[in-house]
Amino acid sequence: MVAPTKYYIAEPADQLWVEPLDAITLIYQRRSGITHMVVEPVPEILTAMGVDAVTAAALVAKLSDQFDLGTDEDAEAVVTARLEELAELGLVHRTQCDA
Amino acid sequence: MHEFRVQVGPAAFRIGSRWRQPVEQLAALYADYPKPEIPDFTVRLDAPSLLRRFLRKSVAINGDFMLPDAVPLPFGQALLAAEMGMNLQMALGWRRHLLLHASAVEREGRALIMTGASGSGKSTLSALLGQRGWRFMGDEFVLLDLDSGAATPFPRMISLKNEAIAAMQVAAPAARFGPLMTATPKGDIMHMVPPVAAITRMAESAQPALLLFPSFGHLPAVREVAPGENFMRMTQASTNYVALGEAGFRAMTRFVKSVPARAIDYQTGDEAIALVERLWERLV
Amino acid sequence: MDNQNDNLPNNVTKLPTSRRALMLGAAAASAIVTVRPALAQTAGSVLNCQIPVPGPHGSGMNIDATGKLVTPDTAGSFTATGQKFTGEQVKKALAGGQLPGTTYDQSRAYVNYIRRLQAGQSGFTCYASLQMPR
Repeated sequence: MVAPTKYYIAEPADQLWVEPLDAITLIYQRRSGITHMVVEPVPEILTAMGVDAVTAAALVAKLSDQFDLGTDEDAEAVVTARLEELAELGLVHRTQCDA
Repeated sequence: MHEFRVQVGPAAFRIGSRWRQPVEQLAALYADYPKPEIPDFTVRLDAPSLLRRFLRKSVAINGDFMLPDAVPLPFGQALLAAEMGMNLQMALGWRRHLLLHASAVEREGRALIMTGASGSGKSTLSALLGQRGWRFMGDEFVLLDLDSGAATPFPRMISLKNEAIAAMQVAAPAARFGPLMTATPKGDIMHMVPPVAAITRMAESAQPALLLFPSFGHLPAVREVAPGENFMRMTQASTNYVALGEAGFRAMTRFVKSVPARAIDYQTGDEAIALVERLWERLV
Repeated sequence: MDNQNDNLPNNVTKLPTSRRALMLGAAAASAIVTVRPALAQTAGSVLNCQIPVPGPHGSGMNIDATGKLVTPDTAGSFTATGQKFTGEQVKKALAGGQLPGTTYDQSRAYVNYIRRLQAGQSGFTCYASLQMPR
């Protein structure tokens, strides 16, 4: 049995107020009233996700179009970890497919 | 029941106690302050038990807002209890401004704000600057207007601790002081009545123009604090940032993006004041 | 890199050929800190509090090195008599100091007990008021 591919979709842009400062970016989540302070690559991930549901693999491909991701660690594993972290906080939602 | 009312900045307090002495002491210290009709907050200084009204008297702090685990103070520290009670109401209950744990002084309509943990010197520095031509706005809380970002004064009794007590008695020999309280949880404490201008102008706000993070006990130094670090530190220094939701986010973001911030180290009051004057001239 | 541009229609400008580096970081390294309600910096000015070790819920029990309540006959556990520590004393101990009247190991056990306090237990609010988020 193959596990279903995990898709992720970002919280709608009008629900998040994003305020880039210098080393950190602020994200205010209107639904919960909670402020998160985030660092690279989180803002870039959220921007690259746009409005569509994406898999971690597709997101890595999108990011490497725009950025040089280097070769230090497995990019997909890192992006998955960040997506899961964002999903725990409700900044991104897990979904089953890209319908 | 003995009662006393006082207006401090935009907040109106009613302080009551079965004992007369603490209420009389408060009334004497706050004699020049306006007396409000309608209180925002009530603080009560109670005996924790009937026995403690008379024997080994101790003062429990009660009020509209309370925290569990609070422990009574000895009767001799009733003034400290009143101060903590008033602070607690603001910290937990004030929603009309973004509350910063900071001191502030004003010059030419602009505010210098100083923040840091206990012992950083923000309280003493604001008192010293208040004696050197700046208008004292407060030594514990700064209230930021949620729309305009202006700093509103909260000029309560200045709370001097340990070495600062002697330093201020020298710097402000004509000021009125409260009784010396020893062996409090924070060491020796003495209250000082703010300068007259601080009281008469307590409704006058000022636009924040410089934010300092003072640190006492190091060789004089200045370090820039970027908005990101500023935001992280200020959200820890605000008791109501989270509760204010969107308005809090807007106000704090505007603050860190528009107000230059520096961390300053110093070893004496004079050193600190010199750094302050130099930075004010350069950055404001 | 230049061959990416060879297949573009004539009226489309060439793609930039250099990308800036993006630090992905390590999978295990969190990239998000959430702002929590903060009382710690103000705590000394608003709350005179104490933490009993142990609180009434642990009366008569010992404390092991990890801070859990255990029966008094447990090997290696520390006796605790409900001694009350002030917020200031606990704050210093959390920063690496030692609780007054305790040995080094006893102090560490007591501090671990305090770290394990849950809402509703005596001393929890006092401990929470001392918390400075990372």
